[in-house]
Amino acid sequence: MLGALFGAVSFLVGCGVTDDWIKWARGIDTSDHHEEHWHGWEKFLNVSFDHKVIGIQYTLIALLLLGVGGTFAMIFRTELAASQLQFLTTDLNLFGQTGPQLFNTLMSLHGMIMIVSILLGISGIINYAVPLLIGAADMSFPRLNAFSYWISVPAAITLVSSLFLGGFDTGWTGYPPLSARAPVGMQMFFMGVFIAGWSSILGALNVIVTALRMRAKGMTAMKMPIFVWASIATSIISMTATQFIGLAFQLVMFQRLFGMGFFDPAKGGNPVLFQHLFWFYSHPAVYVFILPGLGVISELLPVFVRKPLFGYRWVAMSSFGIALVGFVVWAHHMFTSGMNEYLRVPFMYSTLLVSVPTGVKFFSWVATMWKGRISTPTPMLFVLGGIVVFFMGGLSGPPHATVSTDLHLHDTYFVVGHFHDTIFGGFVFPFFAAIYYWFPKATGRRMNEFWGKVHFWLMTPSFFILTFGMMYVGLLGMRRRIADYDPALGLDSAHLILTIAGFAIFTSVIIFGINLFYSIKHGEKAEGNIWNSRSPEWQVPSPMAAHNYSKPLEVIGEPYDYGLKDAPYTRFIEPASAGKSKH
Amino acid sequence: MSHSQNKSAALMQGVIIAIYLAILTLLEYFVAVAFDAVPLLIVVAIIKAVLVVYYFMHIYKLNQKDSDTNHESYAYKTITNRLGLWLFLISDGFVFAGLLVMRINLLGLTRPELNQTLGLVVTVVLLLSSFFMNRGEMQMAHGDVKGFMRNTAITFILGLGFLLGVVMIEWRGVPAIAEPILHFFGEPEGMKALTPSSGDASTGPLGAVFFMMTGMHAFHVLTGLIFLFVVWNNARKGVYTAEKHWGVEAAAVYWHFIDLVWIFFYPALYLIGTAVGAP
Repeated sequence: MLGALFGAVSFLVGCGVTDDWIKWARGIDTSDHHEEHWHGWEKFLNVSFDHKVIGIQYTLIALLLLGVGGTFAMIFRTELAASQLQFLTTDLNLFGQTGPQLFNTLMSLHGMIMIVSILLGISGIINYAVPLLIGAADMSFPRLNAFSYWISVPAAITLVSSLFLGGFDTGWTGYPPLSARAPVGMQMFFMGVFIAGWSSILGALNVIVTALRMRAKGMTAMKMPIFVWASIATSIISMTATQFIGLAFQLVMFQRLFGMGFFDPAKGGNPVLFQHLFWFYSHPAVYVFILPGLGVISELLPVFVRKPLFGYRWVAMSSFGIALVGFVVWAHHMFTSGMNEYLRVPFMYSTLLVSVPTGVKFFSWVATMWKGRISTPTPMLFVLGGIVVFFMGGLSGPPHATVSTDLHLHDTYFVVGHFHDTIFGGFVFPFFAAIYYWFPKATGRRMNEFWGKVHFWLMTPSFFILTFGMMYVGLLGMRRRIADYDPALGLDSAHLILTIAGFAIFTSVIIFGINLFYSIKHGEKAEGNIWNSRSPEWQVPSPMAAHNYSKPLEVIGEPYDYGLKDAPYTRFIEPASAGKSKH
Repeated sequence: MSHSQNKSAALMQGVIIAIYLAILTLLEYFVAVAFDAVPLLIVVAIIKAVLVVYYFMHIYKLNQKDSDTNHESYAYKTITNRLGLWLFLISDGFVFAGLLVMRINLLGLTRPELNQTLGLVVTVVLLLSSFFMNRGEMQMAHGDVKGFMRNTAITFILGLGFLLGVVMIEWRGVPAIAEPILHFFGEPEGMKALTPSSGDASTGPLGAVFFMMTGMHAFHVLTGLIFLFVVWNNARKGVYTAEKHWGVEAAAVYWHFIDLVWIFFYPALYLIGTAVGAP
């Protein structure tokens, strides 16, 4: 473990992220704007302080981890296609684990790798888009930004290394006392998440400061794009609550290393305390995942509907509503954990309260689309898909929030179906929408429309089959996190369909990946405002120059007044000298 | 008291606040010795915290208006940096809040049996270091680099004293040094103090909680000491001026934050509830 920590720090110093800080500590001043030494694709493999490069680096590592986590899911989904153990058998011995143990490790790592991938993915979109949307040259703390990105690399390596170091059986939640006894892979898992937490905290801090301090002239709070509002709300959660999961994991690591019995009842510890600390972050964390995605939906919808966003103020505030309510709902994961019974009902009501600000968003989206001139290029398809999928996720939520039904649904596949619905609707669909939408801004070319539509039409129906199937088998008694199930349950054919649907989604994401890398070089040229957007970044040619806008921006209108004539959102302030030279 | 621009008044203000803090700390100690009044201890700790946050950490500066709207200017960046630092401290504060939650959950109204005199001494030492840090920062704000370096050196020595007091003596890290000092502070006969060497960290919740909380705080003290050395060294090289000394302000605010945490940890570990000896 010390090796992992030392390795992470020396990696950062070695690759040069901290060069400027070391200079500051020695009393040497450094210039604010670095000359980039690298050109083309090489700059994405080197330390850069440009928020656009860092945003793309984040997005790429998120996609890479998405692929790793997805591959793990395909492996154990194949095992589940029929009852009995097929290839993850007890005779198998891979990385010191038998087949069922390997199943547990892959299942647990699928959870945590996907979560880290989502955290990095939202950082990618936020890093790329927020400074552009507010008209800034860069983030407030570019060096800290590079640090937050580069620390996520050793975090990801440490996390994946747990597969090869004996694995662990606990699921992504890592509850003690099981996690206090698991093999050394558990330690690497905790360490990896702990380091990824630094990235999340420091990145979030940077986003809040940037959004508060770097806005263009005239951009008052109520003229900020909705995506910036959502980014601030999500950053408030990840900046504060992440410390609790870090602390909880640190305490388990110390319990493993030094025998300090924080969560060991035999030593006067309390395992339920871990669950409180863990869920105090991990429930708000799902709002960290979805708020930027819902912000992307609100941001993109008016562009493709050609109508003003309905109820701008309410949508802006609803992100904060979700974030704040999210802090007081954590114990709804613990209805069956043996916590005090009188806590159940307050947490049930606070959880149901989340649907109010979320409902505000849905109301705004539907009202925005109402009688609009809807066009459906690929980004819009993913926006619409996200709305519908998230709606299904939202509807399957209250059965878990209600104590009486949750006692039956707890730890079944119904939970898995609900969770995948919310995260696909709240993050994955909007994430793809954002990539299709901002890809031309980053590269000057657009992604292939035909293959984009194939991606969408393959993924969406399979996804519905997958999640509804998960809820179906869950209601019929399928437990989550098990490698095998009783043939007498009669779920073999349902599981086979689920596996096929899973592979269809996997294929669609591969199509997306090929499309992405092919389009960088060979995509159709798109240097202008191809979506006909009002946003400032589309008023200048693509790809964006190194320090963004050559002339400062000024906000003179409302952000979402689509369809109104002579109501521009922003304009560029002409430098005084340029005015003189005309005469 | 308003926050003054005048140098001697600013230094005087630091003295007055330090006296207030000292009185409150003694009040805390005697309240704990004389009665069993947890609410009173919480109120005193909150008053101390407010004094530190306002007069030493200068939280009101967050409300400062920009004198220069150019995003690249030093004045504008200082305000941006200040906001970033405070957000970091809020984030860091959640770690310590989590540790307090853990302490309440696992120990309730019991506490480890500790040497009370030593606890009071290290608390006063840390408080004094905060006073000198504030003095140093005020002198730097008025361009007195020599005064700043002198006061930062005192802060550093006191901070080091606190760190060694906790790790070496309170933890019985070096028994040969710890024992005579503890004897000098009047350790009662037969007190069952926690010692990591006899495995108290791993036998029960008392040791686990005590070493975790003081250890996490000591780690922050250590980083604060490194930070202090860096700004002292830079001041020696003449990097800072009365107008441009963000690094000094950041180090000072961080150092006061460490003090702020101890304002809550001290009653939580030494004063609240009934003492239970090591198993």
